[in-house]
Amino acid sequence: MRIPCPYCGVRGLDEFAYLGDATLIRPDPAAPGAEAAFHDYVYLRDNPAGLHRELWQHASGCQSWLVVTRDTRTHAIGRVEVARDVAAARGSGAE
Amino acid sequence: MAEPLVARSALRPHVAPHASAAGAHGVTLREVENLTLASVAALRGREAELVQAVRAAYGLDLPTGPARVASGKVAFVGAGPGKWLAVSSAPTEFSTLPAAVADQSDGRTVLRVSGPKARETLATLIQLDLHPRTFGPGDAAMTHAASIAVHLWQVDDAPTYEIATFRTFAATLWRWIVEAGQARGLDARAED
Amino acid sequence: MSQPNRLASGGLIDRTRPLAFTFDGRTYSGHPGDTLASALLANGVTLVGRSFKYHRPRGVLTAGSEEPNALVELRTGARREPNVKATVAELYAGLEASSQNRFPSLAFDLLAVNQLASPVFVAGFYYKTFMWPAKLWEKLYEPLIRRAAGLGRAAEAADPDPYEKTTAHCDVLVIGGGPAGLAAALAAGRTGARVILADEDFALGGRLIAERRELGGQSAARWADEAEAELANLPEVTVLRRTSVLGAYDGGVYGAVERVSDHLREPAPHQPRQRFWRIVAKRAVLAAGALERPIAFGGNDTPGVMFAGAVRAYLNRYGVAPGRRAVVYANNDDAARTVADLNAAGCELVAVVDARGDSPALHAAARTAGALLVFGGAVARAYGGQSVKGCEIVDARGGSFNVACDLVAVSGGWNPTIHLTTHLGGRPQWRDDLAAFAPGGTPPGMTVVGAAAGAFGLGEALAAGAQAGAEAANDCGFSGGTFDPPRADDDSGETRGLGPWRVPAKRGKAFVDFQNDVTVKDVELAAREGFRSVEHLKRYTTLGMATDQGKTANVLGLALMAEITGRSIPATGLTLTRPPFTPVALGALGGAHRAKEFKPTRLPPSHFWAEEQGAVFVETGLWMRAAYFPRAGETDWLETTIREVETVRTKVGVYDASTLGKIDVQGADAGAFLDHVYINTFSTMPIGKARYGLMLREDGIAMDDGTVARLGETHYYVTTSTAHAASVMRHLEYCRQWLFPHLDVHLSSITDQWAKYAIAGPRSRDVVAALADDGFDVSDAGLPYLGVKELTVCGGTRARLFRLSFSGEMAFELAVPARYGDALIRAIMAAGEPFGICPYGAEALSVMRIEKGHAAAAELNGQTTAADLGLGGMMSKKKDCIGKVLSQREGLADPARPRLVGFKPVDRSQRLRGGAHFVPRGAAVTAANDEGYMTSVAYSPSNGCWVGLGFLARGQERIGEIVRAVDPVRDGDVEVEVVAPVFVDPEGVRVRG
Ligand SMILES: [Zn+2]
Repeated sequence: MRIPCPYCGVRGLDEFAYLGDATLIRPDPAAPGAEAAFHDYVYLRDNPAGLHRELWQHASGCQSWLVVTRDTRTHAIGRVEVARDVAAARGSGAE
Repeated sequence: MAEPLVARSALRPHVAPHASAAGAHGVTLREVENLTLASVAALRGREAELVQAVRAAYGLDLPTGPARVASGKVAFVGAGPGKWLAVSSAPTEFSTLPAAVADQSDGRTVLRVSGPKARETLATLIQLDLHPRTFGPGDAAMTHAASIAVHLWQVDDAPTYEIATFRTFAATLWRWIVEAGQARGLDARAED
Repeated sequence: MSQPNRLASGGLIDRTRPLAFTFDGRTYSGHPGDTLASALLANGVTLVGRSFKYHRPRGVLTAGSEEPNALVELRTGARREPNVKATVAELYAGLEASSQNRFPSLAFDLLAVNQLASPVFVAGFYYKTFMWPAKLWEKLYEPLIRRAAGLGRAAEAADPDPYEKTTAHCDVLVIGGGPAGLAAALAAGRTGARVILADEDFALGGRLIAERRELGGQSAARWADEAEAELANLPEVTVLRRTSVLGAYDGGVYGAVERVSDHLREPAPHQPRQRFWRIVAKRAVLAAGALERPIAFGGNDTPGVMFAGAVRAYLNRYGVAPGRRAVVYANNDDAARTVADLNAAGCELVAVVDARGDSPALHAAARTAGALLVFGGAVARAYGGQSVKGCEIVDARGGSFNVACDLVAVSGGWNPTIHLTTHLGGRPQWRDDLAAFAPGGTPPGMTVVGAAAGAFGLGEALAAGAQAGAEAANDCGFSGGTFDPPRADDDSGETRGLGPWRVPAKRGKAFVDFQNDVTVKDVELAAREGFRSVEHLKRYTTLGMATDQGKTANVLGLALMAEITGRSIPATGLTLTRPPFTPVALGALGGAHRAKEFKPTRLPPSHFWAEEQGAVFVETGLWMRAAYFPRAGETDWLETTIREVETVRTKVGVYDASTLGKIDVQGADAGAFLDHVYINTFSTMPIGKARYGLMLREDGIAMDDGTVARLGETHYYVTTSTAHAASVMRHLEYCRQWLFPHLDVHLSSITDQWAKYAIAGPRSRDVVAALADDGFDVSDAGLPYLGVKELTVCGGTRARLFRLSFSGEMAFELAVPARYGDALIRAIMAAGEPFGICPYGAEALSVMRIEKGHAAAAELNGQTTAADLGLGGMMSKKKDCIGKVLSQREGLADPARPRLVGFKPVDRSQRLRGGAHFVPRGAAVTAANDEGYMTSVAYSPSNGCWVGLGFLARGQERIGEIVRAVDPVRDGDVEVEVVAPVFVDPEGVRVRG
């Protein structure tokens, strides 16, 4: 599998570290029901056959965390975005 | 008061042995010593200020991608979004830049690999495509050499590559390059 | 050393150079250009091995890598390699080969009696015959079977040869150097595209050099030569001979093995035996050709029964007559070519048996050769034992007769070599017009051409190859440069094998899978017993397993199962293949980095000095750390460690702490960032201070610990454990980039930048004072406990000094740029000499941290929370941090969870063991009574006994209680007293001195 890093270019799978589902958003720890929300956030995962948005780090390259859209059936790599840009755009973060 | 401390390379002969083939040398390996190195990261909201400061101090435009720009003794090499490795062959105070600056002069060892067999030798360790159609002087990349993290850039068409690696990995990387180079006419000496 | 079966002329061998070699100790002669198989056949050796299960005599069946029979042990000693296909092994001077799976000799094999016991060895015998009594399995059945059934012997010594891995990138990868592949490579290469052409053979050409064909008015072999010469002159084309493409992987990545030195007695200096290629290709052209298939008839494994295409290869490429009196048996027009080639080579054609009806092409060939022609007939049986002596022919009306012969050339049709098309899940398609499976789906970017695509004609293979090569190059942005394929002497050859798949055998076994000794009867048995799916057939009979993976057997087995069960072949199933296409040496997969060079070795700055001191080292991750520094007269590690601990506790010692991970943290929000990732608060810590910090995983479990120092308003310095440095850095980048993208914070690994020494003990301040440059105040007022300062040492070297202690003694950590690390350890030792300094290693450090109750890897073991570690009080109530919410959930907040406490043996002379479990006194040793476990133990010189740390249910409420520490694995059962987890200086007076 080869993943196009937006900064470095296309690199082999062995340069990347996988984390998992990129659609999960860290819950607000101060909100009511935070414990249940965190439980779901930490433990519950879908296992889709098809497109999956997932977090990878270009660990042997620029250290960027990436949001990679991958087809779990074919390993075809679709869109690759810089995770920090995605996160900043959706206004996440604990501030 | 104690005696002044003596600086030493990470490449002692018994962990990074010299090697020299008879006949023509296809690949030459050297350590580049006495560099000033620093990791430089643009502070949030002050990116333009850093660009200006680098231009003013060194006459260089910071590259936005994995590339190396050089002028005189100073070079900046792209190290990721908003990050650079500053390199100078003379004592240079990079910490005055308006950026997050960390001295890496001792954190990295820089090896220089050059010669007509340099690409073939490096291909046994590095999976990048170093073919001149895709990688040339001024290009830079972060990758791994076998399992060793490296930051490399091409200096000239010889071709000559400089490879920065974490200091404590340098001896192993040296041995691995020597091993790969021995069938390809290697000349390896830690110092000229 | 005559070669009785070498033809007087012809073949692509160098007849001017004889090569002597031995097989089973006898010396023979061949020529450069021979394989071991062709050289053996030239010498009249037809018996090459014994079969896997029945020890049947076997000869050479094929002329390629699909060979199931002619497997030999090549070379001797440490280089001995089993299961080498004689049909692939390139002959070299001095080659030594021996037959395998025979006892005591090839010609007289006692274990051939297995044949008589064949009712025992039928399909599924593993499952049925030895079911009971089970206790006999290990002692009796398995050794017996392993002796009786098996393949070659692996070398018993380590492989002495180097291997290499390399990566290549190209626009177009062409797999296979036959007509279609050569055409593709020329068409792509002439555009200037970067092309790699890989062929498993040592000579390019494929069938071009195995057949007598013409291309563009010259011999096809000559044309292949010219094509190779042109490719060699194209600067962006790389031709890899002796290179098998083994697998197709995601993203256009292909794996291949180049047998760099397998054709030599041993590799040239510094040259690898084999080179593993990782090829990254934008486009690929698969031109892997086709594999001939057998027909199942009685005795079809007798040496001298050979595939017709292989017969032609031995005649034409190697100048060898595999026999002198031949019967040709085929179900396709290949028979005509075989007859013509045998006739041209001067061999006698006894009979030509065509399973089909009348075939005009064959009439002419048979007439010319003077052969008896049988249409619609069959070879019912070959006989002769160790070499074929004749066969029984059945004619169309059912009459049968015997003929004498020493060669039976068989063609059951051809299967396209589609293996690589299936590696990413492409499903082959059955084509009735070919009577074979053709590629279905292919890996992205791959085009299949020539025989591999079911286009068996030479002209169509060349045309398709040229077109695919040009298109692949065009796709990569290259154009211009054209290649018009030469005119081929195509006949309208009908090569599909239309059956029969088998001949009802009156006598003798009819083999389907030669390597696994699977017969038609075994397939029938599987069908009878309900193992009718192709996957069940494979597992039950072993059809398609072992080193050839059923290359010659799978389709025949499938066809037989279809016939037996009355289904179509596609309805019966298909066997997908996985990499590797042919067996690959583990050494090639391992590459150059093995043994001590398997991983990098990281040496801390004091390493060379420590070596001089005679230190004993221990591997910690990639690091080599000094474990202890033995002195003359000390007899074991414990004695040395005790002396080192006592020196630190009474005088002063020095330890290289450089291996700890070090991270430089800067930015306006650096403090806020650290508050998010640590359970305690650093944003309010004063500049010039340091503190212990603990970080959790989001699930509430402790992840790593270390110290955090504040060097400036927006500048922190963080340490991690040695083992977790890389994973902590990854976690922090994840937090920085993904969880908290708005923070202005920047991380830089500075682990290697600094050499850092812990100077610990009551006299540590004296040592530091001797090193610090004039004017630096080392007093408690100048640098109090948990203080941090920058300074210069030894006349101007800039340094950082941390007043931190892991040992419990007054201690300093002194850091200098790494290039001065070697000099600094020598300076510290010199400065400390008046105070009785000694270096200490990881063992002494471990003892002292256990004595102080500091958690380390054994306690931060992925199961423990801050509260379990006794660090719950550190967690800030005023802020959130990673892991805080879930650390407070019911299960983790349970006060009954095992908590960190200390232990001493009630009988102070007894030894403690890490890993022991705690059970209450008087309770049975059962899982239900398990109350926790011991994590770390050490002999404490300060206490004069062993002490331990561990997790005990409600431990902190049970100080003074006595429990049992049970270690069933080592028969340990010690009564221990529960104590506070600090065994030295519980008030912490010394660190503040
Ligand atoms: Zn990258």
